[in-house]
Parts: sequence; structure tokens; C-alpha cells
Amino acid sequence: MMAPRIAHVDDDSDIREAVQRILCKHGYEVDSYLSMQDFVDSLRDDKNRPDLAILDVMVESMDSGLTTYAKIHSSYPQIQTIFLTSLGDMIRPYFEDGSHEWVCIMEKPVEPISLLGIINDRLRMQGEAAQQG
Amino acid sequence: MAISEFSWNKYGSQAVLVDSNGDRLKLSDDVLVSNIRWFIKFRWILIAGLIIFELLMLFAAETLAKLGVTEQQNWPIAIIAILSLANVAYLYALDRCPPSKYNSPTMNLWMQIVVDLICLSVVVHYIGSTSTPISFFYVLHIALACIFFSARESLYVTILVCVMDAIVILVENFLFTQDSLMTLIKNHLTADSIHRDGALLWMFFLDILFFTVWYVVSRLSLIVRTHERHLVDAYKQLNQAQVEKDQYAVLMTHQLKSPLDAIRSQINLITGGYCGDASPGVMDALGKINHRAQNMGGMILDLLRLERLKDTCLDTAIFESVSVKDILQKCIEKLIPVANSKNIALNLSGEDFNCKVIPDQLGILLENIIANAIVYSHNNAVVEISSTINRHDKSAAITIADHGIGIEHKDLPNIFNEYFYSPRAALHNKSTSGIGLSIVKIAAENNRLKIKVASEPGAGTSFTVVFDEIELSDAQSEVLET
Repeated sequence: MMAPRIAHVDDDSDIREAVQRILCKHGYEVDSYLSMQDFVDSLRDDKNRPDLAILDVMVESMDSGLTTYAKIHSSYPQIQTIFLTSLGDMIRPYFEDGSHEWVCIMEKPVEPISLLGIINDRLRMQGEAAQQG
Repeated sequence: MAISEFSWNKYGSQAVLVDSNGDRLKLSDDVLVSNIRWFIKFRWILIAGLIIFELLMLFAAETLAKLGVTEQQNWPIAIIAILSLANVAYLYALDRCPPSKYNSPTMNLWMQIVVDLICLSVVVHYIGSTSTPISFFYVLHIALACIFFSARESLYVTILVCVMDAIVILVENFLFTQDSLMTLIKNHLTADSIHRDGALLWMFFLDILFFTVWYVVSRLSLIVRTHERHLVDAYKQLNQAQVEKDQYAVLMTHQLKSPLDAIRSQINLITGGYCGDASPGVMDALGKINHRAQNMGGMILDLLRLERLKDTCLDTAIFESVSVKDILQKCIEKLIPVANSKNIALNLSGEDFNCKVIPDQLGILLENIIANAIVYSHNNAVVEISSTINRHDKSAAITIADHGIGIEHKDLPNIFNEYFYSPRAALHNKSTSGIGLSIVKIAAENNRLKIKVASEPGAGTSFTVVFDEIELSDAQSEVLET
């Protein structure tokens, strides 16, 4: 069985390194991106498509993470998305009411146990949805 | 034990009053509609006055005749009928008919002015256009048109008034003889016959008066509306500035907190064993660094939270009915790790109730109070969270009580002041920022809640959040439990 593929977008190299170290150690394949545009470009290739994306919110602009999330959600709904941001729940007001419950927002710093827990949960949900589908 | 009660009032800003329509400044439809209703009420009063007059004419004609008031024709009845029908029609158009090009508040107001002017002209004709000062009532319509219409539209009304007054004077003085007209009030003015030249002169001076009134009132009205427009522009700029301020606060928060998060992420890598083994001394030091960085990160987010709460606009904030139990449980879920670190038990008891609040803000308020109770408790203690409902006056209260260090009596009145710093509290909690209770205060203010604080140094503190108006249903008797 192939290792789950995770895409991680963050402009902070220390955060990218931390996420990569944790996830690689637990058998995930991690693609790190410096900018949202790099990540969106990578999605054009079917082979590159990740199972789950971890997005920062403020990368090139204040809301690039949110706009990228909207794009992924409409074009690639099968990709699970998690926000990993310094602002934590403070970005909630930027979401419309409907998505309030199911958007997953994690506050930095990177906490290995909770990060792994959430990723496993999301991938399991994805697997269950695929089986039902 | 010292007890203090805190409550705050916040007044919302006024609604915008003016629409800008090209170069013509006029009042918004909302303002027009409210004034249309006022005119309709005013007209009902006028109709009632005319009806009373008619009744007096019926039952006390002789007494009125002695006072010099006589009636020879039935024009008041016709006016009562026309004005009543018109009033009903205005109301029908306003409330029952869908708005359209031909059924707008402006059209409604125009119809009112035209019908009123026709009725007034009839009255002027019967009372005496040149022999009594009744024609001056036309000025009222001009002034109102200046207030509610644009300068151009009010000029049309003024011209209409001049035409109607001219028709009345010409009909009265040139088509019929003065003697054939009925007079309502017999005074010295009617005693003198007015020559036709005099009537024309009277008409000329009245027209000059009408145009002068139009000019003065419309100028004043224009000045007022220009100022109102400036206010609207300022209001828009203020809103825009508010948005930019929030963006700036978010950006600054992010920039301040990001390096701390990077540091803490690296610490987590070491403490999680991702960088090889570390000695217990290093782990201990890293734990302390992490703790201080965590407090600093929390304080940075609290600053943003405080700014956002302060900027809450009560005109647009959404008040929703929420279950207190749900909110308390979410708060407790968040705070359990902090409570566990000090081995503190959070006991929840009492009855659930619903209340109308800004849900996120009530969450922030309770979370801060409970977090404070945990922070200022001693290890292995209990924090009691209980709710009480007073069904008699539909009020309720949530009390969060700890058995911690308590608050000095002299400090109690100041605890909600922004950045208030108590050395005793700081000794117990090194990372205090003084923001937590300021957040509680603003959230309470925004949600119209009162807070009672009772404290005894060394024995503990209890915060009681008072909900003056809750939603009671017979079915609701769910019990809060942990």
C-alpha cells in the first residue's frame, strides 16, 4: 500500500522542516511548497496530487491560504485540507457560516501528537467517504 | 468578603439617513416612508378636527354664529371625504402594493402634496383668498417640499402652489362676485371689499413670498443635507478604516507570533524525540522556554481578540439563541489540558438555559473567566461552574467559583480595567498580561451582561455572569454535568 501523500505549504522554512520531519518519520510522503502558486501548479499533474493538504493562511498575501482552499475545494474536492496558522481560530470570521463546522484549523506551533492525530482522522474520513462512494 | 457588581452600556451608531442621487441630494426612502406615515397621522388629526367642527355646526350652530362663525355650504364634508379616502389610499399603496416605478415613497409624497394643495385651494376659495390670511397655509407645503424633496422638485411644488393660488384668486375676483362667496370667519378683513387690482397685487406679493420661502428653506435644507452627506462619507471612511485596522492587527499579530511558533515547533521536535535524545536538563530548560513562549503567543492573540471585541458593531452583530450548556462544554474541552496540568477538577452543575447572545463572544467571556479560575487556583483544587435560573423574572446566572488566591479588596474595583496589574496576582501567575478580564468586560458589554465578583483573599473568588433575559421553555430542564 502506498504511503499517504501530504502537501504542505508554508513560507517559514522552520515550520516546513518541522512538519516534514514529523510526517516522514511516521511514513508519510511529504511535498513542501514555499508558495500557494507552486502548490496549485503542482496539482495540474495527476501523479502529484496529494491525499491531504496542510495550508498556511498568510503566505504571499493575507488570504492566499483561504483563496487556495476555495480553489482546491471546488476543483479537487477529494483532497482533504487542514489549516495550520499562527492565528488559529482567529481566522474563523473569514469563513462563511456553512463551512464553520468542518473546516479544520490548527494553531501553530506544530505539535507532533495532535498533528498526526488530525491527519490520521482526516485520511480515515476520506477513506470511508471513498468506500461509500 | 468583598462583592462588586459591574455592568456596561454601549450605544450603537445611528443609521445612515441620506442617499446621494447624482447632483440631487434627497432623503432616503426609509426616512421618506417614516415621514409619510407621520403626514398620514397628522392628516387624520386634521380630519378629526374638521369632523368636530361639523358636529359643532350641527349641534351648536347658534352659539358659533354668535361668535361670528357661520356655514353656508358643505365644503368641509367634501374635504373630510377626500382626505379620508386619500389617506386610506396612501396607506394601501405603502403597505399593500409592491413597490414599483409608480409606487415609490416619492410618488406617494407627491400625490399627498397635490391632493392636499387641491383641498387647501378649495378651503382658501371658500374662506377667502384675499380677505383672510388662509393663503399663508400654502407656505407650509412649500417648506415641507423643501425638506423632503430635492431643490428642483420643491421648486415644482412652489410653482404649483403659485398656479393654484392664482387660479383661486382669479376665480374669486374675476369670475364670481365677492358677495357670492361663503365666509367662515367674519372679521374686519371680510368687511372691506377688495378691488380686483388689489387682488392682483395680493397675488403678486404672495408669489414673491412663496418663492422667497422656497429659496430660503431649500438653501437651508441643502446645507443640512450636504452636512449629512459628509457624515455619511465619514461613516463609510470610518468603516473602511475599521476593516484596514483589523487587517493591520491581524498582520501584526501574525508577524509577532510566527517567530515564536517557529521556535516552539523546533522545541517540540526536540522534546518529541525527532532530533535524537536530549538530557533531562535540556528537556527541563526547553520546557520552560516553551512555557514562556506559549504565554507570549497567547498574549499576542489576546491583544487581537481584545481589538476585535472592541470593534464589534452592535448594529450588525448577530445575536443568536444559544444553549449555555453547549458553550460551557466547548470552553471546558479547550481548558481541560490546562486544568489537568495543575490537577484541577472542573465541576459543572445546574440547569441548562438558552439566551440570545453573540455566541463566539459568550464563549470567549466564559473561557477567560474559567481560565482565570484555573490559573489563580492552587494545584489539586476544584473549580465550580454552576448555573441558576430564576423562572419568576426570566433571569439566570452562571457562577464560576475557585478556591484560589482571591483578590485584594482594594484591587477589586479595578480588575476589569485594561492592563490592570496586581503584583500579588503576578506573583502567582508570571505570564499575566492584564488583558483577560478586559476581554471579559468588552464581551459582557457587547452582550449586555452583568458580572458580579465576590472575593476573599486567600479563600477564593467567584464570578457570576448575570443574564437579565433568558428564553424559557417548559420542556427545557436539561441538567449541566461533567
